[in-house]
Amino acid sequence: MPLGSAHRLAPEAVFLDPWPEADTEAVEGAFATLAGFSPGLAGTADPTDPAFGLLEVQVDGLERLWGAEPRLVARLTAALAGVLPTAPSAGIAGTRFAATQAAGHATPGALIVVPPGGEAAWLAPLPARLLTPDPDVRARLARFGLRRIGAVAELPQTALVARFGEEGARIHARANGVEIVPFRPRQAPERLALALPIEPPVADVEPLRFVLHRLAAALGEQLVARGSAAAIARLRLELDLTFARAGTPTEMRLEQRFPEPTAEGEAIERLLLARLERTPPPAPVSRLELELAAVGPAAGQQLSLFVPQAARNARLGWQLARLALTFGEDRIRRVALADPEAPIPERRWTWQAVEAGDGT
Amino acid sequence: MTRLLREHPLIEPELDATGRLVAIRWNGRREPVEVCNRWRVEEDWWRAPIARDYFKVVGQRWLALVYLDRTAGTWHLERLYD
Amino acid sequence: MVRLSPDVTAALATLEARWGAAAPRRAGDREVGDVVGALATVPLPAEPDALPAPVEGVVSTGFAALDAILGPGGVPRDTSLALRGDGSSGKTTLALRLTAQAQAAGSIVAWLDVARAFDPVEAVARGVRLPWLVVVTPHDLDEGLSIAGTLLGGRSVDLLVVDLPARLGPAARPARIADRLHRLTALARRAGTLLVLLEPPGGPAAIGTAVVESAGLRLELARRAWIRLGHDVVGQRTEVLVARNRFGLPGRRAGLRILYADGDEREACLARDDLLVETSIQNAPIPVPGKVRDATAPPAMASSPPRPRARPSRDAGEERPALRVVPDGPHGPRRPALDRRDRARRQPGGPGARRPLGDAAGERPPARA
Repeated sequence: MPLGSAHRLAPEAVFLDPWPEADTEAVEGAFATLAGFSPGLAGTADPTDPAFGLLEVQVDGLERLWGAEPRLVARLTAALAGVLPTAPSAGIAGTRFAATQAAGHATPGALIVVPPGGEAAWLAPLPARLLTPDPDVRARLARFGLRRIGAVAELPQTALVARFGEEGARIHARANGVEIVPFRPRQAPERLALALPIEPPVADVEPLRFVLHRLAAALGEQLVARGSAAAIARLRLELDLTFARAGTPTEMRLEQRFPEPTAEGEAIERLLLARLERTPPPAPVSRLELELAAVGPAAGQQLSLFVPQAARNARLGWQLARLALTFGEDRIRRVALADPEAPIPERRWTWQAVEAGDGT
Repeated sequence: MTRLLREHPLIEPELDATGRLVAIRWNGRREPVEVCNRWRVEEDWWRAPIARDYFKVVGQRWLALVYLDRTAGTWHLERLYD
Repeated sequence: MVRLSPDVTAALATLEARWGAAAPRRAGDREVGDVVGALATVPLPAEPDALPAPVEGVVSTGFAALDAILGPGGVPRDTSLALRGDGSSGKTTLALRLTAQAQAAGSIVAWLDVARAFDPVEAVARGVRLPWLVVVTPHDLDEGLSIAGTLLGGRSVDLLVVDLPARLGPAARPARIADRLHRLTALARRAGTLLVLLEPPGGPAAIGTAVVESAGLRLELARRAWIRLGHDVVGQRTEVLVARNRFGLPGRRAGLRILYADGDEREACLARDDLLVETSIQNAPIPVPGKVRDATAPPAMASSPPRPRARPSRDAGEERPALRVVPDGPHGPRRPALDRRDRARRQPGGPGARRPLGDAAGERPPARA
């Protein structure tokens, strides 16, 4: 609902801005923690994904390592206590669907265990609409009077397939405790990093450019070799405090998101250099480390066939990002309509920064 | 197209004996105007009330939108039709 | 704010470009168009002169009559165009229409908003696509020219509109800025970027001279008449003089008809020419420097180009209502987006609603506090 409506309903409420980076970082941390217990992990750290918030852990055969399942889950929950802001709700079952429903019905910090082979019986009293995300199928299940999963499970599969096609086969399997979606463990995002010492330490940005050039070029080549592209760069500058003023930190960290994932070392170098020129280090730099993160497969650019602007927009995005770093984010902006029919102009649109990674 | 003057500069209205808006002084120049439309906007947005009387005025040099901020008692130029 | 990946954003842009409604189109092809704010669904006026097919390397102005008097049928992409006119001459409307046409042809546009007068809602109403628009709001003109130079040097925009301010800051040096304007136009020409300069009335002489000297195409606009709907002024008739043209004959004139939409209930009336009255303005015609005044009658007026919105559907044979406030009726809402919003805000007497203050001619404005 619109923010204004929410405020009217609950005037005492405090509204926080979303912080997707923090959400992603928390979930990645959770995955890293869970990886210490099981190699089979699935889920997403992308806050925009509808499945965000669901972490799946394969625990088959781990009793000898971590004890019986309830004890294992207790250890997982304890390990996640310092990583996630709230205690997770946990569910264990023989199928992914049943386990997900069990976790969904558990309270924070609690665990629901579905007995092995008892998935169908456990699921039977639950609402049938949980079997599918498709609103049309849900509506039709209700029209047919199939309000509980147990009622769906009693129907022959052929009848459900006749009514709902492939989705009918899927909901039949889910209702009967049959696994239909194989578990595909996620691959942890790759981290590429290189560092170089600088002797003697340099205070000006210009000499740093040469070191940055070498680091960016080397990492870019690695990305190209893997057919990958990175979306984020992290610079860590170790500072030499010999003649620095009191209170100067020992290091300086910068994180810069790119307008689009890239493997071009030169583009990475230019953008980071613009960032350093805007925020020069407070003391001479004795070591420079460059890390490229959010690495994924490099995507092709075929959109120019349909939208001429789309292909060139990427290059524009890099230039705008540098301009924004040089002149200020409030100088170079895009604009989007917010409430075009607002009676006063101040409410009708919002300015959007063109900082790297704004998705445009 | 209207040019939206984002700072909504202050203007000095000139009213006749009957209280009718007849001229506007802005940027050191006086422009006789005729009011050709008017409306009121009131909003209680986030409890920072907005209360404006808008006047579309036509003069020799331009067509513009001015408003009286009834909360502050000030007159502003919002738009120039161009 | 949720961030979309560049791939998703680009894919959305593909869909929007193919199926969206912002680009100018022929009236018969339209479906219910976008509702963009105060400029709600407006019935399209009659189009006696539709725009011709685009010419390679040329950007249409959005006004067929004006395109016709420019040599190549529009504005060449590698030129600098100066628009000069008084406060309500229509030059900003013309610049926005040009922007929309350029974007429809695949251009990315940057708008250098030194004057701080850019209104995104109005821009969209004139057909501008915001995803392909960058708005630069520099601290002053000097900084703006620096940013513009960088954009041109990077060859990443196809059209750059510079909305010059009426006044320079106290620290500004007019001669330096004039020199930079010259360089900017040269840079634009080398980069193959169309540069549009909006020259405000009464600006510094040095700037005006630089604009005159450096622009390959210079148009001077003068308002000739107001268009009234009842007592209200809802548009204007503007005469455009081609004062300089490296690509064709200077001295030619064209008429533009520009309608405004303020987002109230009377917009349906803008499509009815019989309700609109033009009141001439007694101004002298725009003099052509060094030429004898053109004594021929003004050319036939070109209607304002279509806005990217649809006509509200009307059943055949429906009796057209007399001029009155038109509420949403049984033929469906004229503002489809409004249905998804909190309608209570729009009801008469509700907060945020526009309240008529009575007959504009008869009622007095409140006295100043």
